[in-house]
Amino acid sequence: MIRAQNVTKYFGGFPALKNISFEVAKGEIIGFLGQNGAGKTTLMRVLTTYLPASAGKVYIAGMDVSRRSLEIRRRVGYLPENPPLYGNMTIREYLKFAARLKDIPHRQQRPHVERVLKDCDLWEARDKVIATLSKGYKQRVGIAQAILHEPELLILDEPTSGLDPAQILQVRRLIKSLEYRRTVILSTHILSEIEQMAQRVLIIKSGEILADSSIENLLKGPGGTSEDGRRVCLRVQGVRLDLEPAIGGIPGIKLARWASENNTHGIDLEMTHPSGDFNELAEKVARAGGRILEIKESKVSLEEVFLQISGNKDLSHSSRA
Amino acid sequence: MGMKRGIMRKIFAIAKKELASHFKSPVAYLILVITISVFNVFFFMILDENREASLRDIFKVMEFMFVFFIPILTMKTFAEEKFTGTMEFLMTTPTSSTAIVLGKYLGSLLFFTLIILATSVYYVMIEFFSSPDRAAILTGYLGIWLEGAFFIAIGILTSSWTRHQVVAAISSYVIVYFSVSFIKYFQGTAESLIRYVCTMTHMENFAAGLLTVTDLVYYLSGILFCLVCTRISIENRLWH
Repeated sequence: MIRAQNVTKYFGGFPALKNISFEVAKGEIIGFLGQNGAGKTTLMRVLTTYLPASAGKVYIAGMDVSRRSLEIRRRVGYLPENPPLYGNMTIREYLKFAARLKDIPHRQQRPHVERVLKDCDLWEARDKVIATLSKGYKQRVGIAQAILHEPELLILDEPTSGLDPAQILQVRRLIKSLEYRRTVILSTHILSEIEQMAQRVLIIKSGEILADSSIENLLKGPGGTSEDGRRVCLRVQGVRLDLEPAIGGIPGIKLARWASENNTHGIDLEMTHPSGDFNELAEKVARAGGRILEIKESKVSLEEVFLQISGNKDLSHSSRA
Repeated sequence: MGMKRGIMRKIFAIAKKELASHFKSPVAYLILVITISVFNVFFFMILDENREASLRDIFKVMEFMFVFFIPILTMKTFAEEKFTGTMEFLMTTPTSSTAIVLGKYLGSLLFFTLIILATSVYYVMIEFFSSPDRAAILTGYLGIWLEGAFFIAIGILTSSWTRHQVVAAISSYVIVYFSVSFIKYFQGTAESLIRYVCTMTHMENFAAGLLTVTDLVYYLSGILFCLVCTRISIENRLWH
């Protein structure tokens, strides 16, 4: 569906995108993940033909973005970061206007508008003036506009930013309901969102792709390096000098973090122990005169992976506490 | 054929939206009211002084009024869309930049035409009480309409340069003002050229009842030039 080859974008002398290449298959849901200013929006603007790339090529549905922009726009639905709404129009007027500009044949305009009004849960508010709507409503009107012409590719720039939790859920549900036959790209700096909505993630930092992988692979370990490592959090009482060599000495266990307070220790372990149970661990701890207070398995969070990949290791440690 | 009709439909859709947004804004009403009241005052004043059944001097007053008003009318056309982000919406729908520019131009032109039409009440009055020089009044109207159309094109061009409406208004005011009164500041060798570039000299012909090809070409080419520049400006997103 999308093929980007060595895309570079300069703003003056500043490189917003550096030599980015990736492909997206039809029907895929992919998340662009990165901190603010990483280049997500610029990349999306290049994909939607809004900004021309300084160098490199982008093909959507086999067509060159720089040559056949009007045809591509017919196939792409786009929600910019701030929903692009005319405050003085009612929702219905706005969608009708959008339908006209999006080449929807005259007779089908009305059914299309009514369909998205229902799909986006806007039916009751359809004659309200947009300026008077809450942020959640505005966001849904923005999405309604993006899906109005049933695009093959849907590009959503931070679809849930600035919404309250209930609204976020609503918008997520709405996006989920669209996924059955569309390719969807969404950007966010909220990690849990990617985890819940996307199948694959591109991590972008300073205009470069740091990682391109499925969520599952990403969660297996930083950059996929440690094989099926389980992370275990342990709380133990005892003398550190006795405990540390005892636990660290078990084959297949790596100490990741050790925090002590008096005689209580919080320990993070990475276990690749073949048996996978805690018998040996418990035994060794007991023999070293310690007492296990708590033991629990924790998954690597996308957040940690992201922070590790994007090079903020210090942050990643403190966020684990 | 279908393609062309599609483009026309989009131009009209945008023009209709523009026109509607003018009617939803208090600024436009203010311009409408002020234009008509100023027209009203000068109409009786000039008529009283001259005892002449013509609108010739009134056209001059209107010309200077439009120098102030049209930049305010057109300042938001592109600047507001850029400021609120709707420009990104327009430019990512399958609508060509040409259709966007023409639609916006048409919308403002229609509103301006309505203002001009509203003043025709006074023409009816003259017609009722005396026998005016109809040709001069008609060409005068055509002239003031063409001149307004030119100013609108300038206003839309400056609006495409910036996100800030005030900046757009001031820059188009500066350009329009100089285009009207250029002639005052230059004399000598370049005078004939300046005379051609200056809108006022052309408008004088119209107001005197002269309809010449040169004047028509002047306004139409001026409008075309500004619209083409506007298209280039929004295509290149120089404002990013």
